[in-house]
Amino acid sequence: MGLLALLRKLHSSPTHEMRILLLGLDNAGKTTLLKQLASEDVSFVTPTIGFNVKSVQSKGFKLNVWDIGGQREIRPYWRNYFENTDVLIYVIDSTDEKRFLETSQELYNLLEEDKLANVPLFIFANKQDLVAATNVGDIAERLKLCNIRERQWQIQPCSALTGAGIQEGMEWLCKNMAIKKKKK
Amino acid sequence: MEPIEQPIINKVTNTEDPIEIATHDFSLNWMLLKDSETGKVLWEGKEDMSIPGQVHIAEVPKSILECKSVSRTLNFSSKRALTNFRIVQRVMFQDQLLEGWSFKFGFVIPNSTNSWEQVIEAAGEGHMLPAEMLSGNVLIQTDFYDENTIISASRVRIFYV
Ligand SMILES: Nc1nc2c(ncn2[C@@H]2O[C@H](COP(=O)(O)OP(=O)(O)O)[C@@H](O)[C@H]2O)c(=O)[nH]1
Repeated sequence: MGLLALLRKLHSSPTHEMRILLLGLDNAGKTTLLKQLASEDVSFVTPTIGFNVKSVQSKGFKLNVWDIGGQREIRPYWRNYFENTDVLIYVIDSTDEKRFLETSQELYNLLEEDKLANVPLFIFANKQDLVAATNVGDIAERLKLCNIRERQWQIQPCSALTGAGIQEGMEWLCKNMAIKKKKK
Repeated sequence: MEPIEQPIINKVTNTEDPIEIATHDFSLNWMLLKDSETGKVLWEGKEDMSIPGQVHIAEVPKSILECKSVSRTLNFSSKRALTNFRIVQRVMFQDQLLEGWSFKFGFVIPNSTNSWEQVIEAAGEGHMLPAEMLSGNVLIQTDFYDENTIISASRVRIFYV
């Protein structure tokens, strides 16, 4: 299911514009994931020093996915992009054990942001195609994800390179974006 | 992304007027048109398409008119931080507006390079004019604003070949 298909499924949702925010440390695979979501060639990706926005529209419904660069110098700017977010997707490089602490700190900073309160969180444990990848259970434990309260969340192993696990992510997004809207 | 309201469009009297650019800190790096179903690149503009007063030419394969959905990407850089960046895009057929959008990005990080890709579903059969009629008569106008100040603009005339 690509972004257009997701949008078609979301038609029952009452709001006409959706905003997905895609964050994670640099090199986590956000841009590759964004391309995968749109079934594009993922062999060539340049690092993002800024944002990549993808807008998809179908029959009056619009979906905007915001991929914001994750380099340390630009993380302070993330907060400029929180407003009106419907779903937060957080991407982790499962092979980058050295930075599990750093990525969990960044994630918890995000979860404390007022503007992201109650926003459903979907975590992609990316690069599972590599042997060096830590499995998703261990990542959940290392990042103490069980401490997350007051929001829908889910962690999903995936490979943005091969596309494995992405479909499951899209299905979750589909369900949870709609649920959040109903509550409003 | 919102449809542009009519009054804004009416303000555009001469679509090819050179536009005074408020800053040189902004550049449009490239533009890309793709068939979004197959990912096939239909047209790529590598030069700076925002040279003031210049109408750039894009030769696009006719087959684009049969694509179920088309993706358009703009890549741009800004040296300065922008607080309320937005893009207004219009597709004109002669003097008539075929499609128009405005998209509000808000903040732009200083010294950043950013991209915006739009995937647009085709209007469907029967809504498309033939390539021969469209060719050379379609102008894509893109205006870049920070708040209400225009910071750059691009005019690209499309030929279907
Ligand atoms: N093996 C593997 N490599 C990946 C995967 N996802 C991304 N990469 C690679 O990781 C690098 C960083 O990816 P990118 O999407 O630019 O990360 P970003 O900085 O988060 O946007 C690139 O070289 C990608 O090809 C994956 O699932 N598996």
